[in-house]
Amino acid sequence: MNQIAEVLPNLAPFESLALSVAGLTLSRGDLCLISDLDLRLSGGDAVFLMGANGSGKTTFLHALAGLVRPDQGTIMLGDRPLDLEASEWIGWLGHVDGLKPNETVRETLRFWAGLQGERKPPIMAVLKALDIGHLIDRPTGRLSRGQQRRVAFARVAVANRPLWLLDEPAGPLDQRGRDRLAELVAWHRDRGGIVIAATHQILDWPGAETLELSR
Amino acid sequence: MNALSRVFAREARLAWAGGGGAAGPAAFFLACISIVPLAVGPQAERLLAMGPGIAAIAALLAVVQTAERLFADDASDGTLELYVLMPVSPALLALAKVLGQAAATLAPLPVIAVIGGIMFGLDFAQSALVGLALLCALPALALIAGFAGALAAGVKRGGLLIALIAIPMMVPALIFSSGAGRAALEGEWDRAWATLLLTLAVSLGTMALMPFGIAAAMRARTG
Repeated sequence: MNQIAEVLPNLAPFESLALSVAGLTLSRGDLCLISDLDLRLSGGDAVFLMGANGSGKTTFLHALAGLVRPDQGTIMLGDRPLDLEASEWIGWLGHVDGLKPNETVRETLRFWAGLQGERKPPIMAVLKALDIGHLIDRPTGRLSRGQQRRVAFARVAVANRPLWLLDEPAGPLDQRGRDRLAELVAWHRDRGGIVIAATHQILDWPGAETLELSR
Repeated sequence: MNALSRVFAREARLAWAGGGGAAGPAAFFLACISIVPLAVGPQAERLLAMGPGIAAIAALLAVVQTAERLFADDASDGTLELYVLMPVSPALLALAKVLGQAAATLAPLPVIAVIGGIMFGLDFAQSALVGLALLCALPALALIAGFAGALAAGVKRGGLLIALIAIPMMVPALIFSSGAGRAALEGEWDRAWATLLLTLAVSLGTMALMPFGIAAAMRARTG
């Protein structure tokens, strides 16, 4: 595949996944953002959520994560509602990074991986895959915006969750960072994971589909 | 290390690393108890009578002034979303977070209260009881401040909201903790110990209930 396969440990594939969204309607106050949306994804799929500002991309991700309750419709993972077990399945990258400026990269990743039950998270391997292994003991507040985004993405990758929900994952990344991100996404999909990314730009993720959201 | 001790340790570490640790609340508390004699006059009897109450009020205000930052940074930097999505009981996570912050920032207050009691003319035993009563009240004060802070996270003029929510809820802890000191001052040690236990009971009750409120507020802020 690429250099990612050489640095990352050979982790077991995820069990067979099937994400189904049926008749989903979402609104903010009186404003209906998404109406009667259907979506079916299985292991290895990736989807770009596209649309203008305010079209409901982030709200849709929040609904998938169980942070927002849909007005109507269901979100199922296999035969169970996703929101019941969201924390066991979801790797979350919000539009802000969730980093503390006085915490080092190592402390950050170790803390979040530990909180998600990972006993031996492949922290250094993932950081190397993202070309930031040399920053492991640097406080996140002393990193560039793009490096911080990579650290946030590393937090998702070390947690070993099959469903990645990414909000503007490549926003501050340079081309090299986007390439590393694409490789990590491909590695995740090869393991049978699903990736849903809200973005304003098509990224170089082979085989990814596009879902256009418009009010 | 289990999840809750991880959260407790991280919050304590971050409070020291980024927020100056205990310096802010300690300085605020010390300033409060130091300026009271300047405002009410130097009469020894009056200061003696006011000592336990002043210590309790100063502690309450010191805790309230830390509340705004307790969840505001987490709300703005995305940490709150991550916490809500963790496979850990949100209520226990909230408890560990608030107590971790409190351990790092509020721990010196009972010690300063002992010194303050001596400043106000109480003997050492009476001052020690004032400090102990404050120690018993601090978990309740911190968790109530945490609840108000979580509700106000990301809200404009959140400080006003915190004061309006937290201060009335802190009244029982204030009454019992200062009451224990007053009873000691009057030489009624049995009543002092009983009131101290009531203060502890308020804190334990708050520890049992308030984390659920904080967790609900955290979830409301992320929706």
